[in-house]
Amino acid sequence: MAVLVSLVGGCTRPIVKPTPSGPPPQPGFTGIPPQGQVAEQELQGVQTNLRVVYFEFDKYSLNAEARASLEHNAQMLKMSPHVKIIAEGHCDERGTDEYNLALGERRARSVVDFLVSLGIPAQNFSTVSYGSELPVDPAHNEAAWAKNRRVFLRVTR
Amino acid sequence: MPGPVVYPGIRDRLAQLHGNAERIDKLDGFNFRRFSAFLLGFSLALGLSGAQVWAKLEIDVGNPNFAPMPIAVPDFVSSQTGSPYGKEAADILRNDLSMTGLFRILQAAPADSAQLNGEPDFDAWGKIGVQALVKGTLQIHGDSIVVELRLYDVALKKMELGKRFSGRTGDLRLMLHRCGDRIMERLTGVPGCFSTQIAFVGSEKSREVFVMDYDGHNLQQVTRNGSINLFPEWAPDGSHLLFTSYLNGRPNLWLLALRTGQSRLLSARPGINASARYSPDGKLIALASSFQGIPKIFLITPQGNSIKRLTDGRGNDISPAWSPDQSTIAYVSDQAGTPNIYLVPAGGGQPRRLTFETTYNTDPDWSPTGDLLAFTSRIGGRFQICTVRTDGKDLRVLTQEGSNQSPAWSPDGRMIAFASKHKGVSRIYVMDRTGRIRIPVSPLPGKAPAWCRQPR
Repeated sequence: MAVLVSLVGGCTRPIVKPTPSGPPPQPGFTGIPPQGQVAEQELQGVQTNLRVVYFEFDKYSLNAEARASLEHNAQMLKMSPHVKIIAEGHCDERGTDEYNLALGERRARSVVDFLVSLGIPAQNFSTVSYGSELPVDPAHNEAAWAKNRRVFLRVTR
Repeated sequence: MPGPVVYPGIRDRLAQLHGNAERIDKLDGFNFRRFSAFLLGFSLALGLSGAQVWAKLEIDVGNPNFAPMPIAVPDFVSSQTGSPYGKEAADILRNDLSMTGLFRILQAAPADSAQLNGEPDFDAWGKIGVQALVKGTLQIHGDSIVVELRLYDVALKKMELGKRFSGRTGDLRLMLHRCGDRIMERLTGVPGCFSTQIAFVGSEKSREVFVMDYDGHNLQQVTRNGSINLFPEWAPDGSHLLFTSYLNGRPNLWLLALRTGQSRLLSARPGINASARYSPDGKLIALASSFQGIPKIFLITPQGNSIKRLTDGRGNDISPAWSPDQSTIAYVSDQAGTPNIYLVPAGGGQPRRLTFETTYNTDPDWSPTGDLLAFTSRIGGRFQICTVRTDGKDLRVLTQEGSNQSPAWSPDGRMIAFASKHKGVSRIYVMDRTGRIRIPVSPLPGKAPAWCRQPR
């Protein structure tokens, strides 16, 4: 499966077999920390090191700064190739709600496409657009808007 | 598939309404139009200026010299002395009529207005400039109420419309809205829509779906899932609401049955499942979905099955809006760089760009009369509600204050609901189709209004 993935992705990096998720935890078994906890720490480690990608007003294209952030993110993701990534696209409040949902989706899609071009397997990704529903900064000024036009990469198992 | 979610409030309310507020139209036998035509011929035969008299109580909305009709709606006379319902009833009707922008409500009242029955003093009403007079009476027995309504042509000294409605006192508002619907029908040829409802989404912390009367009364919360819910859309028969919800962590399309309160997942395609719009006959749903990569407009069945992709190309496409004859779908695409409105045949074909005036035009909604599209345009960094003809001409900017979006036509095409943001807080407003009268109606902050096609 990993071989197939690499071929499809057109990627030249070393093939890493996905880590097996281990046996399901047994009820009442408390002797050894379950493997899920280790995975949780790994997830948190990746999550902490990922950079948020920011966008220009009304744009879904990636500027130089965004591409630099994504190149950094690709390096982080290559160290944990089995994690799944949800690309969460957001917009500032200066668009209309419905169009913003499409714009947020397209921003997430731009990020995913670029990361795939850097060698992260396409099937590790999914996208969720929140439009302008979840601003990180609710203020109505340029500084807040710049923070809100973003794609956040959320890692999961 | 998640289990059904039950919202008991709306179910109880609907059950209650179906049992009451039956309409009794005993007084309605008189055909004013035919009688007016007869009068006109009669007057002309006598050499009188009959044409003006005949035209008085017909509101010609298309007339460029249109002036609001002076109308009086004195407080209803109640069989119970001291009842608060007489004023309340007239207030409901006065508000309904004023919202259309077609009337000037005169407040002065000659002495005869307190009489329970009998002919109005037409000369006294005429002297203060009243053309149309609405008089109503209320008979209250316990919690049941009978409303009688008469519409008079003051100049002709004739009753034009008589209606009787019976129901519970709790349904007084609905009964009066129905009175208003019939007055509009008699005066303009098209029934009013005062007895319809608007769905919207709460816009502060809660993103739950709410339903209210068009004038903001009878607010009901219809979702309680604690998630983000967006873009409600009424089924044409008013029985269901479509909406986009993140209940499963992703923007999926859900269908809520208002009578049972149960909701179920309709489309969980990867990416967005948003801005769903029923075709006028209810047999299709146009939906923006990105499961093939870029958001595009698709047609699906009311059961959620794919039929076809309607749009193509590099643009992000969203916000489909059906023409009332179902032949065409307006939608938003940014294929030329910024979002603009395009029209595409509903059966598939070449899209045509409609808006060129500014760089950012979204949220199309096709008027029920078919001749206009309402939409949102970004003008000077804020959003305003506009209308444009379907040939792209006659662009009109209807709002100036605040930032406004998401226009939704009333089913009679006389009013537009929209979300209006002032100082960061969005509320649902209703305005007449020219934008002269704009009233905030939602009792709490809200956005994304959808206007039900059917009366309650």
